[in-house]
Amino acid sequence: MGGIRMSYEPPITDYDHIVEDCTCAFCGCNCDDLDYLVKDNKVVAVRHACRLGASKIMEDIDQRLLVPMIRGDDGELEETDWDTALDKAAELIAHSIRPVFYGWSETSTECMKEGLELGEYIGAVLDNQATICHGPSLQAMQNAGYPIQTLGEVTNRADMIVYSGSNAMNSHPRHMARYAVFPRGYFRKRGRFDRTVVTMDPKFSDTAKMSDKWIGFEQNGDYGFYNAIRAVLKGKKLHADVISGIPKEDIYELVEQMKSAEFGVLFFGLGLTHTLSKQRNIDIAIKMVMDLNKDSKWGLTPMRGHFNVNGFNIFMAFETGFAFGVDLSRGYARYMLGETNTIDLLTRKEPDVFMVIAADPGAHFPNGANQHLANIPVIQCDIHWGPSTELADVVLPGSFIAVECAGTSYRMDGVPIYMRKAIDKPATCRDDEWIMRELKERVMKLREEPNVAPKYVPNPAAE
Amino acid sequence: MFYANTYLDKPVVDDLEQIPSEGSEKILHCMLNTGSDIYQGACKKRGSTLKEEYKNASGTCYMDPRDMVKLGVNNWDTVLVKTNFGEVVLNAAKSRDAPHEGTVFVCKGPWANTITSHETYCCSDPTYKGIKCTVEKTDRKVLLMADLMRLVYKKYVDETDDKVVENMESLGEMPVYRGRKWEELE
Repeated sequence: MGGIRMSYEPPITDYDHIVEDCTCAFCGCNCDDLDYLVKDNKVVAVRHACRLGASKIMEDIDQRLLVPMIRGDDGELEETDWDTALDKAAELIAHSIRPVFYGWSETSTECMKEGLELGEYIGAVLDNQATICHGPSLQAMQNAGYPIQTLGEVTNRADMIVYSGSNAMNSHPRHMARYAVFPRGYFRKRGRFDRTVVTMDPKFSDTAKMSDKWIGFEQNGDYGFYNAIRAVLKGKKLHADVISGIPKEDIYELVEQMKSAEFGVLFFGLGLTHTLSKQRNIDIAIKMVMDLNKDSKWGLTPMRGHFNVNGFNIFMAFETGFAFGVDLSRGYARYMLGETNTIDLLTRKEPDVFMVIAADPGAHFPNGANQHLANIPVIQCDIHWGPSTELADVVLPGSFIAVECAGTSYRMDGVPIYMRKAIDKPATCRDDEWIMRELKERVMKLREEPNVAPKYVPNPAAE
Repeated sequence: MFYANTYLDKPVVDDLEQIPSEGSEKILHCMLNTGSDIYQGACKKRGSTLKEEYKNASGTCYMDPRDMVKLGVNNWDTVLVKTNFGEVVLNAAKSRDAPHEGTVFVCKGPWANTITSHETYCCSDPTYKGIKCTVEKTDRKVLLMADLMRLVYKKYVDETDDKVVENMESLGEMPVYRGRKWEELE
């Protein structure tokens, strides 16, 4: 075995002070028990975080965006002062016809508030990373409902945990340890021994390796598989011997197990939302949970990826009535799947200015969508030099929420958490909230009237 | 001493037994899945996207060992993956989640983007998983992130020929810009 070695890392003893109970700004688990060891205004070590959280907090300083930049005529980014960079960005936004503001999931809810005010004024489309990850889950919730519980309930009550299309050990490494599988809870005194863990995934993932049961249905077989479970739950017999690659006896056995659980929870990830049936997969998973509630108590939670991706959806649903892909160009909020979502807008080559806030479309959008970013001005507001910076024309360096700047975020189960500040940001960077407010004020100066369609009057003569 | 540092040159993969230098098949028809793994996630969110490390974490095609035998590729040889949406050169490596013969896994990132489908079927989400692809052995090198972005999007180069852009001088592993760097700000 080539790679498996025992590893040892000596404890860090050289630090000035500890900042306790910080919140991790990586995944939707929002672990709020982190301790940062700080020396000379830098985090030198992190306690309690997983590999992902620790790596994000102890960032790569080489690639930190430090100074505001504008792309010169020769195609190279050039440092400029904040006034010039903000004026340039404001000018692009103020004179745009179809601006898209994409991102928001790795910044605070306070920043979103400023961004939404700017979006409303300029008639932009506001969208977040849900559009490429859990968008189908949000659609399915509108279709079928949202039987959710908090992660605290899972810790204290759940005796059956199902991960479907989610590799928690790789993308939410502390999810099993802190909330779902290993911790001892009020009714689950023995922790892991009191719980049954099932992973449903075509591949034998690291999560499956830690589970009691692995159900490796075939690729794109999720829809058929959940329907089979629902049929059995309703007391029907299965006619086919093998469904989506799973023998029917195994399905009967699984259903019995799920029905006899005292409190079960289904955690589902992008394995369900990215395959062909997309939101229909989640529809059927939600309906399966509803059916299970006739015999037992079941709930479900989407495994949200970024620490505040849920925050944007909750914030936008509260403010505009729609969770993501909100088009404000008509002066009121519109949301139409396949029309006002970033990927569809980009593949149709509709936007003429694209602003990225705390996101990386360069790294995560398919080529077909990203090609349009090469044709239009791109404004980036982020903390690290990433693939999007290679496409950006104006770069505004923000600050690191939960390390250099405080803010509110929403955990994957919808619990809001105030993330504290531990160290000071680099002197040349600004808070995301400040950047958005400045942009808003500058755009309002450049354009006295909001850039939205005139109010629609059905019968002008009657007015 | 081996430190379990969060920095790793390459993701840890198992060694392969006996790989023939010539495979029995030239082109392999597979199913492509993309997604994240812990190496890619740690490297991306630390911000080290220009580095060799991100290239190895994200620009790697995880394959079933039986498929690797068929093609005659060893760990960290390069393969060319083609779909209807594009093509890209990737490292080959033995999957930690094998067996999954006929399926290859590429972590999300600029490399995977060039071959995934932008088709949303009117529900906002592109199809990142379950795409038909072909895999073949190649001598071409896997490009660093900045070079790949230059090749694929050509936003700031005048050249349009792929071959010329691919062989241009590398942009390297550090940000290229005119302005103050970290050391000068302190």
